[in-house]
Amino acid sequence: MVDARQRARALDQSDALASTRGEFNIPTRAQIASSRLSDPGPGAIPASPHNFKLPSRDLAASGGCVYLCGNSLGLQPKRTPARIGQYLATWAAHGVQGHFKPLDDSPLPTWVDVDARAAELVAPIVGAAESEVAVMQTLTANLHLLMSAFYHPDINGRHKIILESRAFPSDHFAVETQLRHHGLTPETSMVTIQSPFSEDNVLSSYDIMSVISTHAASTALILLPGIQYYTGQLLDIPVITAFAHKHGIFVVWDLAHAVGNVPLSLHDWDVDAAAWCSYKYLNGGPGCIGGLFVHERNSLVTKAVTDDKPEEGYSNRLAGWWGNDKRTRFAMANKFHPVSGAAGFQLSNPSVLDITSLSASLEVFALAGGVPTLRKKSLTLTAFLESLLVSAMSADHRALFRIITPSDPEQRGAQLSLLLSPGMLETVMKELEARSVIVDERKPDVIRVAPAPLYNTFSDCVEFVEAFSAALEAAKGAKGG
Amino acid sequence: MDFQTLVKILRAGRVPDFHPDADSFAYADALDAQDGLSHLREQFIIPTRTSLKKRALDGTVPDAPSPRPRTNGSTKSSHPDKKYGDDDNDPSIYLIGNSLGAQPRAVRAHVDAQLETWASLGVNGHFTALENSPLGASWQDLAEECGRKFVPIVGAASASEVVVMNTLTLNLHLMMASFYRPTEKRHKILLEWRPFPSDWYAIQSQIAWHGLDPATSMVEIQPDADQYLATAAILAAIDEHADSTALLLLPGIQYYTGQLLDMARITAHAKARGVPVVGWDLAHAAGNVELRLHEWGVDFAVWCTYKYLNAGPGAIAGAFVHERHHGRDEPQDEDGEAKGSSSVWGAGQFRHRLAGWYGADKSVRFDMAKTFVPTPGAPGYQLSNPSAIDLAALSAALSVFGQTSMAALRDKALLLTAYAEHLLGKSLPLPSSSGNGDAAVRPAFRIITPANPAERGSQLSLLLLRPGLLDRVSRYLVENGVVFDARKPDVIRVAPVPMYCSFVDVWRFADVFRRAIAVSSA
Repeated sequence: MVDARQRARALDQSDALASTRGEFNIPTRAQIASSRLSDPGPGAIPASPHNFKLPSRDLAASGGCVYLCGNSLGLQPKRTPARIGQYLATWAAHGVQGHFKPLDDSPLPTWVDVDARAAELVAPIVGAAESEVAVMQTLTANLHLLMSAFYHPDINGRHKIILESRAFPSDHFAVETQLRHHGLTPETSMVTIQSPFSEDNVLSSYDIMSVISTHAASTALILLPGIQYYTGQLLDIPVITAFAHKHGIFVVWDLAHAVGNVPLSLHDWDVDAAAWCSYKYLNGGPGCIGGLFVHERNSLVTKAVTDDKPEEGYSNRLAGWWGNDKRTRFAMANKFHPVSGAAGFQLSNPSVLDITSLSASLEVFALAGGVPTLRKKSLTLTAFLESLLVSAMSADHRALFRIITPSDPEQRGAQLSLLLSPGMLETVMKELEARSVIVDERKPDVIRVAPAPLYNTFSDCVEFVEAFSAALEAAKGAKGG
Repeated sequence: MDFQTLVKILRAGRVPDFHPDADSFAYADALDAQDGLSHLREQFIIPTRTSLKKRALDGTVPDAPSPRPRTNGSTKSSHPDKKYGDDDNDPSIYLIGNSLGAQPRAVRAHVDAQLETWASLGVNGHFTALENSPLGASWQDLAEECGRKFVPIVGAASASEVVVMNTLTLNLHLMMASFYRPTEKRHKILLEWRPFPSDWYAIQSQIAWHGLDPATSMVEIQPDADQYLATAAILAAIDEHADSTALLLLPGIQYYTGQLLDMARITAHAKARGVPVVGWDLAHAAGNVELRLHEWGVDFAVWCTYKYLNAGPGAIAGAFVHERHHGRDEPQDEDGEAKGSSSVWGAGQFRHRLAGWYGADKSVRFDMAKTFVPTPGAPGYQLSNPSAIDLAALSAALSVFGQTSMAALRDKALLLTAYAEHLLGKSLPLPSSSGNGDAAVRPAFRIITPANPAERGSQLSLLLLRPGLLDRVSRYLVENGVVFDARKPDVIRVAPVPMYCSFVDVWRFADVFRRAIAVSSA
């Protein structure tokens, strides 16, 4: 491992993005294992709303933990507490005026504009025009809102929804309940894609396209993950989208694991709609407000509210006042007429606190130079991790796990999923945690390791592999094998 | 008359005869002295005139407002109002808690705790509750913790009837997706003529989603000339349409006039007439008036938390689902039709809904199974994992409610609003602008909130009776430190909320308003 450590150090030193790590609060080893908040010292309630300080660190345990779990919950940008402090100060000072009254030199927009500002920051991350993006609600809510707008089944025509057989359960439940709303059932109208060849259910584009072909005439919509949560596979979004369109199918992408992870060009790829959450690679915080994309061709409003039958000028969607044209929103008229674009799918005024948290994090993406720059480092980082797993571990240990993520770097993001031998997961996770290595588990046998380019290092990868070897050793011993 | 006696009169549904001295500052001050809730004011940050005028952040927030104005014994002038409130650093007269509640001081502590938890624990914060944290729960339990706090606020039978999630309009859609299941016979939604626009759009789009026509399936209940929704009119509308109605959806408090509807009576009447579902939008009622949703037999309700609940702009919302809908068996109506539509699904029947993983029972949520087994009750309507920081802010706001009761808040609110109305009554005459001897005095404004104390919450809506008055009056109010809501073209809404407003606030508002009218009419 000495060689690996040296290599890692060299890679870290020459890493152009190394400085972005400094933008994040990395839990220390002591903190990650803590069961208490830091005890507030005297005068702990700060007079200054900007004064957020992490507890002073125990020097002995002051090293950062090895946090490779950004695919599950991203770390906190350092500027997030400051931005939130500014928001709280605005609410305190201005009360309701915060909706409309701008403050000089404030990084924060007035509250009525927070959604537009957030959309502006997200748009380049997903490769869309600002008008094609809305920061709102949560991932599953957005899937429901999109399907309510764009899934109009005809049992005698197109009624099926295609999704993968190992979809994240929320997607599965969303699709199933949408079907049931229309009086359909999974038996009649749900088609799942399973790989005929891969035991890990890595789906080739061919697998997907054959299922599409088979059901094309009766399929209304297809919902797929940009990156599959379990295997970490990155699907070929443009190719699959184009193919589905050839067959007249509406294409929705769940980008939970893709947004902020891999470069996306949703507009150019002609994606119909997409939704995502913001607490993974976007580092917005647990459960942070999500987002959706609607291609401009699907969100046109071709009539004015004063025209005859204005409702025929836009696609019906589950509506709320925040999707109405801003200029008339406060006029309290009994007429919904959406603004064109993704913003027309909004329902309610969003949580300013939540959106502030997200926008703070998105500033860091801009600072780092955007996702394509991060992707360059990510490719190297994950390849480095993979090379260690493949060639820097003993044969004994290598026999105890398998990487189920595609080895083609273009078919994956930051994450590697490791399938362990049965019965080892619990011990491995415990041993890793004891060594302050934080990864994610998927019972019964998978651990997911995701070195995030914004804040992980090549040395993190080496530390992981060392800890992983020790953990496997311990688990092997525990099994008596 | 003392505080308690006045409250008793108001509780009996009568308007008290205020003492002739009631329009003196001393009287207001005396009421504050008797106010058992005056200590709660210190727990909020009330904007000051200085802070309201800020053009840039400067690292300060207003100091804690004292429960009662500082009286230094000597008056600086002969006007009692100059003793207090003319200092730009004194709290403003913040009467807009019906639109955006003032910030509880606890919010900073809770939000900081959440930020520290995230920074320190990373992903482990989902399952670890830090011992000394004001949050009192790990992230995965935070929503439930807030749900518990709502039980006494909305009158739920238990926490399983309450869920904290999403936003009001989304919750309305989720409730309708589950409870508005139109058939050929029963397809109508009864609503009031001018609901808050979001409700209108939600209802309209739900109907369209079912392929029905809003023109035939939306039935508006009309108010009288004063925009008053008479209970009799509502009951009559229910009677007329009961057989074809799938859902009655009304606001607990009407946002424009501030009218409090008789939720108990209307719900009971609708259910007795066979209306399968009665839903209430409690945006202006939650945290404002006493609610007994379970006892009243309400099927579902939704609310936001940034008004009287003080959780911050757009903060995470709430919903109520009656226990009768938690179980597996769907009640049948007299035609043998299922009153709702259930699904046979995996582990058994439960009410149809738009589902997501977070509605699954906690014990199986991470099993990644494809069979949806919802948590019994309202929490089974969750879709995605909620925002922990939003929940932190809400839990802080709810912790203030935990220090009192809705009954105590309502007592004070009844008196605050009655007192406001009494004082405003003195402002009614509009001075004749011409000196030509025209003695007729026309009122400058009219209160369009019902006069019956039992038919309103904290809010009073003032309809200005002359064009152009709104702008001039608004400007004067703003200059004099009043924060209120203007509804163009001619309505001002003020809400002296019991948690942090004082009787002196009301006195000062009436004083400023009187002068505003005088100045604007000159």
